[in-house]
Amino acid sequence: MKRNYDGCAICNSTWGNVWAEVDGERLFFCCDLCVVQYRGLLERIQRETGWSTIDSIEIAGDRRGRTCDVTSGKARERFLFAFTPEGALLRFQRSVRPSVNSG
Amino acid sequence: MTKCPACLVGFARGDFPALAQHLVGRAEESDSDHVRWLNQNLTRRKTDAPALVAPLRAYFDLGPDSLTRWVKIRFISKFFGKTPHPFVAALQHPTRATLLGYVVEHQHFLRQWVRSCAFIMARTDQPEVIQYELDNLSTEYGGSGPGRPSHYELLLRMGESLGVDRAVVLSTPPLPATRRAVEQWNEMATREHWVAVLTAMHSLELIANRDLVDDGATVHYFDPTILSGEEIPTAAQDFLREGYEADVGHSDRALALASRFAGELDLVEEVQSVFLRSIDLFDDYLIARLERAGQYEA
Repeated sequence: MKRNYDGCAICNSTWGNVWAEVDGERLFFCCDLCVVQYRGLLERIQRETGWSTIDSIEIAGDRRGRTCDVTSGKARERFLFAFTPEGALLRFQRSVRPSVNSG
Repeated sequence: MTKCPACLVGFARGDFPALAQHLVGRAEESDSDHVRWLNQNLTRRKTDAPALVAPLRAYFDLGPDSLTRWVKIRFISKFFGKTPHPFVAALQHPTRATLLGYVVEHQHFLRQWVRSCAFIMARTDQPEVIQYELDNLSTEYGGSGPGRPSHYELLLRMGESLGVDRAVVLSTPPLPATRRAVEQWNEMATREHWVAVLTAMHSLELIANRDLVDDGATVHYFDPTILSGEEIPTAAQDFLREGYEADVGHSDRALALASRFAGELDLVEEVQSVFLRSIDLFDDYLIARLERAGQYEA
């Protein structure tokens, strides 16, 4: 899967040293909490979209609220999300992706 | 003494190299509290310990300001910054679910509040601190007769006005984040210096301090217009108004005492760290209110 972050898969931090396999990929995380968050996020995206695979994920924002742009083939979606202190999804909703032509 | 703001382990006063080494070491072990503190307060990019020393010193430096001012700036940055805390955002014009989330989790907070304040009173030798805590506990928990119910009683009445009986509220266990926060506040109260506990607990009353907008807060705790009209029940207005009117005095008086005694007793650095730990717990606890609110959403 293509990602925009070079650090932790959920928050882009380069602190920590956790490696976990998610959907067949070995990924870096800064802490176990972020592993829980990332797994929960991917599961929810797949449930919401019905996609069997996600080709790319681009995350932005911070702990107060994040967005992710995801693609599968030609399909694209944007979701808004935030987590509880235990890493469960507190908020998850579909959002409108801005048009590439919009000014 | 200086302390780690993530776990409160102590180091010699001013020993920021040791604190930096500790933070880097615990982050290398992927401890989420330490990684979180570094991510949110210093940098998301891993560095070695020597490179963290100067940023740490700068972060803790009061500069020309008082401890009170430093505390307010940190508090505003965390809860009332460009993106206010999600619970603060939700409370601007709260739904029934948001208010019920507040009621169910906050009763646990207030029960711990009494214990934390009692520890301060048990440990201080300063009569004005004892008087302050007695006044505070009277407002928050004891009440002053039928005409002046406590904040705790007003909280339960708010729940009842929204259709949830107090027996249900009082028998509902806390969510994990609330439980963890309450446990750690209790541990803090039993272990830390009373000046640090005074600061750590009463700084939390800044959340409803309406004067924070004069110090840079982008919003109030809630939109004051909801205190009139029919947007929320009268019992909810009564509860929110109590905090709105009391917490300016509560937080400002406590921080004035904290600044004075932290200076006199040479405790500034440890007070700063205990405060920082407390506001991280408070951040999570406020999220728990929203999590609970989710259970009441239609």
